[in-house]
Amino acid sequence: MSAIESVKSEVFRHISQLLENKSLIVTDDMSLIGGDSVLDSMKLVELCLALEDKASDMGFEFDWTSDAAMSRSRSMFRTAGSLVAEFVSQMEAKK
Amino acid sequence: MIVVTGASKGLGRAICERLIKKNIDVFGLARNVEDVPFASMSCDVSSYEGVKDVAQHLKKQGIKVMGLVNAAGIASMNLAVTTPQSVAQKIINTNLLGTIYCCQLIAPLMLRNKHGSIINFSTIAVALGLKGESIYAASKAGVEGFTRSFAREMSDFNVKVNCIAPGPIDTSLLKGITAEQINKIVSQQVIPKQFKPDAVADLVELLIDSRSDSLSGQVLRVGGA
Repeated sequence: MSAIESVKSEVFRHISQLLENKSLIVTDDMSLIGGDSVLDSMKLVELCLALEDKASDMGFEFDWTSDAAMSRSRSMFRTAGSLVAEFVSQMEAKK
Repeated sequence: MIVVTGASKGLGRAICERLIKKNIDVFGLARNVEDVPFASMSCDVSSYEGVKDVAQHLKKQGIKVMGLVNAAGIASMNLAVTTPQSVAQKIINTNLLGTIYCCQLIAPLMLRNKHGSIINFSTIAVALGLKGESIYAASKAGVEGFTRSFAREMSDFNVKVNCIAPGPIDTSLLKGITAEQINKIVSQQVIPKQFKPDAVADLVELLIDSRSDSLSGQVLRVGGA
């Protein structure tokens, strides 16, 4: 499994843990914000905190409060796939 | 640890001293911390990046943040039509945006604990609609509105958010205001007297304490209005 696939699996696992409907399967296009989001705002923040911890374990800081991250937040949190992409992007930028 | 902005002087300093006296750990923020005799860091709250540096420092140090007191503020008593644009901008940036930035960036440190207390600062001028304080009052009215909504956002995380709105407390912020002007404001309060910084520190102490866990989204007007 490549590093990116491993990260994706980890992020999806975190999302899955936060889902109320445990029968849902996390996919790339699963919405994380907006009307059809599978997570409420509290769960979304919990997801961010979990990803912060994950990033810290991996030796970098996952920044979900920067201007850059926020201005891209519509896409960053739009789907599970876009969140994985942002996480990987920050991971690679800080290598 | 309680983070207090505006910690170098005035109300912020008085609040820090009170908390320290009660054996509560304090981390003070101010633009100039040279004369601050407790844990502190230089920070201009109107700078998003500056506040972010503080949040990252606290996180890296593993400091458990249990409270935030947004006491930093500036005032300029002028008619709106004679207030320079740069001054109006500075008042909004420090009082309103500074409070918002600190809440945005320091509150996440409390979310992990699922416990905390945030205290913002308004002014009695909002409720009384005082002449010569329109821009200052506008910045603080924004803080009150922000407090009410932010309290709901933080409620799920067991973090209470309240606001203290003092009248003319005897601090350096009142420099340049005559006794007559102060008396005129004080006379409009429900309790027509000028309070000392201790009265505000009493409220901060209460709002940080678990005895006030039933209060959130509230504006406490010192002296009443």
